[in-house]
Order: sequence, then structure tokens, then C-alpha cells
Amino acid sequence: MPITMNRGAYALAGSSLAFKTGTWRSAKPVHVHAAAPCHGACPAGEDQQAWLALLQEGKPQKAWESLVTSNPLPAITGRVCPHPCESACNRGQFDQPIAIHGIERWLGDEAIRNNWSYPRLSGEIRPERVAIVGAGPAGLSAAYHLTQRKYNVVLFDSLPEAGGLLRSAIPPTRLPRSVIDAEIGRLLHTGIEFRPRTALGRDITLDELRSEFDAVFLGVGAGKSRHWDVDGAVPADLHEGLALLREWLAVGALPKPNAVVIHGGGNTAVDLARVMRRAGIRDVHVVTASGLPGPDTDPDDILNVVPRELEQAIEEGVQFHPHRTINRLIMRGSKVVGVEMVRLKKLPDGSGRKSRVSFEGTETVLHVDMVVPAIGEVVDASGLEHILRQRDFLPVDMFGRIEGQPGLFAGGDARDRLKAYPNGTVSAAIGDGRRAAEAIDALLSRRQPVEESRPSLPYASLNLSYYESSPRISLPTLALEQRNDNAEIEGGPNTAQAMAEAQRCFSCGNCLACDNCWTLCPDNAVLKTSEIAKDGSHYLFDYEYCKGCGLCAKECPCGFISMQAEE
Amino acid sequence: MLEALEGSAAIARAVARCRPGVVAAYPITPQTHIVENISKLVADGKLQTELVSVESEFSAASVALGASAAGSRAYTASSSQGILLMTEVLFNISGMRLPVVLTCANRAIGAPINIWNDHSDSMAVRDCGWIQLHCADNQEAVDTSIQAFRIAEATELPVMVCMDGFVLTHTLETLEIPDQDMVDRYLPPFRFDRMLDPKNPLSLGTLVGPEYFSETRHLAHQALMAAMSTIVDVDREWQDLTGRSAGGLLSVEGPENARIGVLAMGSVVSTFREALDTLKTKKKAKLINLRAFRPLPDQALRDACAGLSDLVVVDRALSPGFGGILGGEIKAALSGMAKMPRIHNVAIGLGGRDVPLEMWSRLLDVPTEDAGFRILDLEPAKLGDTP
Amino acid sequence: MTQTTNDPRARQPRFRGLEAGHRACQGCGEALAARLVTESAGPDVILTNATGCLEVFTTPWPQSAWRVPWLHSLFENSAAIASGVEAALKAQGRRSKVIAMGGDGGTFDIGFQALSGMLERMHNVLYVCYDNEAYMNTGIQRSGSTPHAAMTTTSPPGKERMGKRHLKKDLLSIIAAHHIPYAASASVAYPQDLRRKVRRAMEIDGPTFLLVHSPCPLGWGHDGSETIEIARLAVQTGLFPLVELERGEVASVMPLRQKVPVSDYLKLQGRFRHLFVDSDHRAREEREHLQALADYNMERYGLFGDGDDPFDADGADTVRRGGPARA
Repeated sequence: MPITMNRGAYALAGSSLAFKTGTWRSAKPVHVHAAAPCHGACPAGEDQQAWLALLQEGKPQKAWESLVTSNPLPAITGRVCPHPCESACNRGQFDQPIAIHGIERWLGDEAIRNNWSYPRLSGEIRPERVAIVGAGPAGLSAAYHLTQRKYNVVLFDSLPEAGGLLRSAIPPTRLPRSVIDAEIGRLLHTGIEFRPRTALGRDITLDELRSEFDAVFLGVGAGKSRHWDVDGAVPADLHEGLALLREWLAVGALPKPNAVVIHGGGNTAVDLARVMRRAGIRDVHVVTASGLPGPDTDPDDILNVVPRELEQAIEEGVQFHPHRTINRLIMRGSKVVGVEMVRLKKLPDGSGRKSRVSFEGTETVLHVDMVVPAIGEVVDASGLEHILRQRDFLPVDMFGRIEGQPGLFAGGDARDRLKAYPNGTVSAAIGDGRRAAEAIDALLSRRQPVEESRPSLPYASLNLSYYESSPRISLPTLALEQRNDNAEIEGGPNTAQAMAEAQRCFSCGNCLACDNCWTLCPDNAVLKTSEIAKDGSHYLFDYEYCKGCGLCAKECPCGFISMQAEE
Repeated sequence: MLEALEGSAAIARAVARCRPGVVAAYPITPQTHIVENISKLVADGKLQTELVSVESEFSAASVALGASAAGSRAYTASSSQGILLMTEVLFNISGMRLPVVLTCANRAIGAPINIWNDHSDSMAVRDCGWIQLHCADNQEAVDTSIQAFRIAEATELPVMVCMDGFVLTHTLETLEIPDQDMVDRYLPPFRFDRMLDPKNPLSLGTLVGPEYFSETRHLAHQALMAAMSTIVDVDREWQDLTGRSAGGLLSVEGPENARIGVLAMGSVVSTFREALDTLKTKKKAKLINLRAFRPLPDQALRDACAGLSDLVVVDRALSPGFGGILGGEIKAALSGMAKMPRIHNVAIGLGGRDVPLEMWSRLLDVPTEDAGFRILDLEPAKLGDTP
Repeated sequence: MTQTTNDPRARQPRFRGLEAGHRACQGCGEALAARLVTESAGPDVILTNATGCLEVFTTPWPQSAWRVPWLHSLFENSAAIASGVEAALKAQGRRSKVIAMGGDGGTFDIGFQALSGMLERMHNVLYVCYDNEAYMNTGIQRSGSTPHAAMTTTSPPGKERMGKRHLKKDLLSIIAAHHIPYAASASVAYPQDLRRKVRRAMEIDGPTFLLVHSPCPLGWGHDGSETIEIARLAVQTGLFPLVELERGEVASVMPLRQKVPVSDYLKLQGRFRHLFVDSDHRAREEREHLQALADYNMERYGLFGDGDDPFDADGADTVRRGGPARA
């Protein structure tokens, strides 16, 4: 029976729903949760966008809980991490990057202040036991993530306290001891059995551990200074940089030369230079093969130091000599009276690999009475001899698995440098611990380990019309004359600042719940429903009516919608 | 109670008795006095209505359309060029089955411009789907105006009440305006099922494609045809109430056995009625007063013409290149009769030319002249050599 | 995916005046504008609609996409039938608001007289003109609203012509001259601003007017996904200033953040393609002409504002988590 004509040919409200315009479509919008660049750049594997989103919703505790699913020590990393997340932040191309480290620090401090506990994860209690050697950031992270997965964890360290280089190599001016105590204390209280003063090779052997435990993670750090000489010459009274820093941190003792040159470009070099400068040493030089941040320096050739630390060091009078190396020690007898420096640069060779080339004729002399090498550290081989086999570092894959050694894992400064996973930072060590925990869990659950990997959202995929320029918060720094050996130099944001700064986040690659797609669909084909939408957004596409115009994708501020060709 | 009233004032009073919700109008001679009188009734508080003084006849009809769709009894009036300016809307009103009532104060159409009476205007819109009722005198115009709302609302078709400009609109007659109680009893408040209402949001005025358009046209035609019985019933009821008929579909006067008939519409009917009463003519003739031009009552026409040898159809307008419009239609309507009378068609009284009493005798001679369609009161001397 | 027992369409946290299933082209600016207007205005409204795309794509019998009472009659009488509806409501003591709608053809041109009459008689009607700057329903012919130099099928460029010879009619000024309580221009690119203006107009007991810039992908020659981008550029370049007029006086304008050259707007659209033919010296001239018209608007309406925070309009399009920044 056909529809019958009515009087005057009127139509009923909304009867157009019988006409499914979805058949017109040649491409359909889909939600694609690309990684925010901050997430992609984070060595610890944090999803900063995700916890900033919770902060934008005004939920600090939820934000912290989200943060600690990857990084259990945010008050620490918020202070010491060189925050590659901020370098990667898309907002940096718009005005200034989000002050992620500041917000992270604030969240970490709030958690300490309010005594927040780590979220309890559900899951079966596991009977397996895992040994973790080294209670530095890598070991702590592995212990935490395994405990969260309900494993029995025993954590060994040769020192009386957990913390590793957090305590032994980072000055309290950068990382107050109270923060270390609070965060590590909370972490150790999650059910980890901590055995301090237990050194590998002295008190226990690796073989014992491997037989007693179902898996072993080595987070032993790099505790031995790399061998250093200049054309075979070494001053008689040579002091290694890390040893000097440790000694100063432990007992407050420091040599007092008139002028010192520190050779190296890492945190040890810069931290030591600042300590020595504050101790009253007139001339503190840092000679480094790396460059200072600037337009002429390749990103992979920059001093491996938190940029603001570098600024502060310069402020404090440390003299940097970038792109240089020490060519010759000028000795009077066995005593150093100066060094000869030469300029160099990292350049590609014939095979395309980059290596350092020094330039004859650029030699200059520094008059100093002390030379301190701080060119880095290698693994102390004690107890690991047959694993290391003369190598400086433990050879691992991205999950910390050591080839040919089933059940043995490593991470942190003790491992080899991997191209996609550079180490040498607290955050990288935390990331290593987390991935190793996944690998250990996978091994013990007889499955393959998984590391979430999503492409990062490019800046060009954002629709910037929907964002307004707003300045990054500026964080307080102790005035030069107020700096001493104990007071923390940098301050964190206050609550209002942290909350305001979080609002600056573009929410790259993730739904901002801004309603744009819902508001701008000419065809009423976007439905708003936070209950039913399961992909992290608040919206559904109604493909019965979506004509595939692509407006929603184009006008999504955060690149969460892509158009996908229909088959 | 009998009163002496000008036609326009009487119409205004009759319309007011019908309690229209919205009246929209734009002035044009000879309709103007109707609007003026309604405006005065409103100004004096004697008529509660939304009087919308629009900026054109086009908008007058549009306002009436909107008001009717929104569920109000809507009324408008116009003439001549104004009717033509409304044309597009008139088609729309009927197509949407909206019961608007319009008074057409019939007037010629220019150029040359001419403000006086003939039927060119209503004839020009004969196909717009409206019921068209013609009035012979002002009492009929009053009664038809009231009946028009009943017919319109019963059929959900618009009704055009045609009354001759000046001849009726500007003429003082003694007539009766029915009292309010009587009209209220006769004409219940307007209820419209398809009314625009947020509680029942219908869409009116949709697009209909080839797959249904023929059905809409068929239904429009059926609705007009079916309206004939409503016109008759409504008039009969009026007669019961007032003792007056306004003429049903058509009425026949004169000697039963007359073999000649004269068919006419509008005020000339009154002239011919008087002639019928007062003139001593050799030939006997019947007078057929066609009140309903749309719908055209073909069966009633055949009945009225039964036994006639000759029928003179009097047109008040013409279709150049064809001839008399009414004549052509009557011919078509009677063509199925077993003994169809010979039909003679003339036009008279164009553009206000006077139709005297003697025209009746002249018309009765027409069957013997066998001259085809012509303008009967043409004065050939005035033509000169103009091609 | 959508038709669950818990049909989310039935539970949307906003009123739907214009339902899905209408037959507008992909990315239709007018459909979006009408959706936004009815959403903000409804449900207690009655619409009238001039003949045109909107009427055709929403009501092919027996279907209708409208969820509010809707009346279409003719091309040129939307304002007049709205006057009639409003008069009837008044007569019946009903209080629903009447919104008359039309495209630029039905408003600037053929329906202009009816609109002027409606405004003069002070009917309580909001008239919304969806301005897509040409007769689109009949296949892209120039209207009084077509911008200078734009190509349409009746203003094609050629040896003797560079698109439309005449200027876009300044309708808003003409409307303002009726001394009505409120008239404004709005754009689909600024939905918050548009909604606010609709609500403002709805509150006024009297005639109000809204001119909504609504790109037509087909007629303007751009992809349907670019409708908002183009509408936004029209505002940002100053070619389509967003202003509010009360009793004929400028009451507020949406200030511009920065000056955007008109070429940024023109080059995205096929209807201005002939203005980018390098070998044609007239192309540059016409672009400069359009730039001068934009500059004129900026000066006339003071689009760059003043004070510490000139960009303080309620209608800014910035967003934050959970919705528009200035909802």
C-alpha cells in the first residue's frame, strides 16, 4: 500500500528520520586517539595530556592517580627531569609550551601534603617472586609496577637508604631530601620488601638470586667513573666529578682550588660546578663537547642538562666552554697549572654517522689549578662480571631483556643506550622500570609484552582557531644572593597557577569534550552521550545520517577526528 | 431590523458579525470602503480583530494565509489589480486547504486603467482553486459573506465573495444585518485541526513531486465539486434561520414555460429581475442567476436549462482571442444535454458601462441575430479606423 | 551503532528543531545555521520559510525534518505569512514566538517589500536571513547579496566582466533604518555568538532581524569540510563584520584579533578563482577592491576595538574542556 496523500500535503515532525542520508557518504569520521607529543616524548611513559585533562576538569587527585600509573615519583621528576615533554609540546609552536614539569611537581607535592595513596589496582595476587637489585629510580619503578601487578618483590640495595643517585648525586638545592623521603617512603610502603646494605657480589650473588626468584631486575646504575686521561696524562691528585659530588653530599667536604675546570656536559658536571662556585671558588669552568641550546645547535648535540639549570649555573657565574675538548694538560711537575682546549663539533663522516672532529688552530689555554673529569660513568662490574663481559653497560632490548639470559632484566643507567629510548635521566630510569615490569609480568604470564605506541599528533592537525594565546606561568626562582647549599632554588606553582596552566593544554589527539563536532554538524549526525561513547569522548557518530562532509574533523580543535574512506 | 446602508459598510458589518481573528487588507478602489469601515469598527471597539494594514495585496493575502494556518478566521478584500497581485498567494491558500474568505469588489483590469466594474478580475483567477460566489444585490452580499465562512470552514476551501464594484459596494440599499446572536448560532468558532501549534508541530506547505502531484490536483478538484452540496445546505440553513436564501448554486426566475433563458451573474441580475417585473416584452424569458461560478454546478445548470430552445449567456468579461468566458463554460457544461439549447454569448457592461433596464429586451433579441460572441453594448462609431 | 534500546538521539541535551535526514548538501552552511537557530529558539516557536534550498531539503513530502510548526508558502512572502501567524497568535492570546526565515534571494530581493512591511508594522517576529550570497536553489544566480566580483551563473567572468559588477547590498543598514529594537549579523563559524543573538532577539517583543552568513559549498566552490573555515575567514577579513544594532545604532561588534588579508578568504573559493589569474591585470584590481571594502568595514564598525582587552566579545569561538570557553 502506498502512503496516502493527506489534506494540504502536510508532514509530521521529524519524519525525515526515515530518510537515511548516511548512504551518501564516501568517507566517514572516526575518533583517532593519537598520542600527544608530550606523551610520545616522555621517557617515563607518562600521558601528560591525560592527567592535564583531569586537572582541567578540576580533579587534582584523579590527575595524580593517572600520573602515577606510569610514574610513581612525580614530585621528584617534576624537579629533576629535563622535561622533553615540554620541548615536544605543540603549544610551543603556538606561544609557549605548557609548564608540564611545574604542574607535575605541584601534583606530586599535593599528594605528599594530602597523603594521597597510590590507586589500588584490581587483579589476582601473584605467587611469583621478583628480585630487584638497586633501589635507584629504575629499581624503585620496577618494584612499584610489579607490586601494583600483585607480585612479591624484594628490593636490594648496597646502601642503607633507597634512592640511589637521587640521594648520592643530586644536590638538595635541586631535590630536597624531604621530597625524596616522602615519595620513596610512600613507594616502599606498597608491600615491597626492602633489604638495604646488601651488595651484589659481596652479600649475594646473581646466581643465588636467579635460583631463588622467578625473575631478576638489575637497576644497579652506573657507579664507576669512566676512565679519563689526556693523551695518557693524568694529574697525580685526580678527583672524579661524581666522587667529589657524592663526598660533598655525604660529608660536606670539597677541595678549594683557585680555579677549576670540569670536563663533561652532564648533570654531574653542572651540579658540581655550581656547588664549587657556591663554595667560593673564583673560576669554575665547564668544558664540554656538546653545544649550548640555541638556533645553531642540533637538538641531539645539546648539553644533557635541564635548560633552566644551565641558565641558573650561568647566572651563578659558572663559565661554559661548549663545543670544546681538553687537548693537553699543562703541568708543572705532577701538578696541573692549566689546560689547552680545542674547538670541535659533531659532524657526519663518510658513512653518515656523526663523530666529533676537532679543529686545529683553535687551541686556547685556561689557567686552572685543578681538573675534574665528569665525562660519565659506567657499570660497576662487581657481581656482574659474566654478564657484562668487559662491556661498560648491560645489553638490553626495549623491555630490558638481556639477550640469552631468560628471567634477567636491566634498566636505568646500567643499560646500553637505545636509539628510541635514551637513558641517563631519572625519568628514563622510571620508564625502564615500568617496561621491564611489563616484560616480567608477560614472561611470568606466558604472553608477549606490550608497550602502547601511538603516532604523535602533528601540530598541523590541530585547529588553532579555537585556542587563544595565553602566557605560560612563570615559576619562582631563589634570588642569586639567597642561594645556598641547602635551600631549594626553584619553586613550584601555587594551586591557582597550576590549575590555570593546565587549562592551556591543547589536548592534542584527545577529545576535549568541547562540543564542536556536536555543535557544527549540519546533519545532526553527532550525538552527545558520555554514557555510551566508549572511546574517551562524549560523542557518537550516527552513521545512518552522517553524510561524510568532514566538518567535524576539520573543526575538531585537538585532531581527535579523522576522515576514513568508505569501502 | 432593516437599515439603509452602503454596500461596503454592510459588508464590513457582516464580516464583523463573523468575528474574524485577523483581517488584512490593502486599499484599492472600489474595495476601499469595506476596509475603511472595518477599520472604523476596530477603532470604535466594535470589532475585536487583529487588523493588519499591509503594504500590498500580495501581503494581504499572505497575512490571511498565515493567520488561517495559525488557526484564526481570516478575511481580506480586494479588487482588480489587487486580485492579480494576490494571485500567487490565492493558489497557495487553496492548495494548502485554508478557509480564507475574500471579498472581491469586481473591477476591470488595465491597461488602460479603469476603476469601474466588470468581472475581469475574478475571472482571471477562476482556476486558483477557490469557491467563487456572485451576489446580485447587497442583501445577498451580506448573507453570502456570512455563509462564506461557514462554507469555507466546513470544506476547508477558501471562498471568494464577488460583488460588483460601485454598483453594489457604493450603493445605498435597505437591508438587514443579522444580529450577533443569530450569526453566532449559525457560525460556530473556528477550529482548525492542522493549526500551527508547537504542541503538535506539523509542516505545512511541503514539496510534492511527480509521484504525488496528480493526486493533490485530483483531491483539489474533488473538494471543489463536493463543496456544491455544502453551498446548498448552508444556504438552506440560512433560509431556515432568516427566511432569506442567498441563491444556492443558482436560481431561476420568470415564466415556467419560457423557451428563452438569460443567464447572468452579479448585479445585472438585479437589473434583469426588475425588467422581468416591469418591462412588457413580447418574448417570454427565464432569468438564470448563477451564484456559484466555482464550483460550476453543471447538473443544476442542465436542470435549469431543460426545455429551453435558446440560452443567452451574459458575460461581464472576455477572454481576448476566445470570447466570453462564462459563455464558453456554460456551453461546455450543457454539452451533454439530450436537448441542449442554442447558446448565444455576449459581453456587456465592461469597465463600468451602464447596463440599463432596456438591456433585457435587447438580450431577448440576441437569439434571432445569430451573430456569435460580441460585445453587445459596443458603440462601433467610437472605433474609427483604429486597427 | 546508534539504534540502541537506549536511543541516544532521543536523549540529546539540546532541543532539535531541525532533525537528521534532511537532504542538504554535505557541509551545508544553511542547514547548520537553521539547526543552530531553531535549537536556540525552540521549542515554543512557529517558523515560516521562504521558498528555497532550506524549504526543499527539509520538507520533501511526506517527510519533514522540522520539529517545530513550520509554514512555507512562497518565495517572497515569508515575512508576510509570519505577520499573519503572529497576528493570529495575538488574536488567540497565544504566546509562541514567530520566526520567519528566508535566503538572501527571498530577503534582499524578492521578499524585501514584505520584510520591510513586517518590520514597519512592528510584528513580534524574528526574521532570519540565511545569507549564502546567491540564488542557490535555482543553480547559483547572482542576487543583491552576491559580493562584488563573485562568479555566479548570471555573473560569469569573461572578456568584458570580472564576475558581479555591483556591490553586495548593505541590507543590515536598510533594516536598521526601520528603527527596530534589534538587528544583528552572525555567522555559522561563531555558533556561540549566533545562539546568543538568537536568544537576545527571542527576548524582545517586537521585530528583530538576524543576518546569518552561511557558506554554500556548491555555490561558492569549496569542499564541504571547509564551510566553517571559510565563514570564519569572512569575519576575520572584515568582509562580513559581526555587528549588533539597536534602534539603528551600532551596539556592539565582534572585534578582530588581527588583520587577515581578503585573499586568504577569496583564494579558498571557486567563485573567486578568476581573481587569481596572474596574467589578468583586472584580477589584482578586483582583489584590491575587495580589500578596500573590507578595510572600509573595519573602519566603519571599528572592528579592531580598543581598551586593554579588545577581544572580549561573548561570541569568541575559543573552547576549553567541556565546551565553549564563553558559553
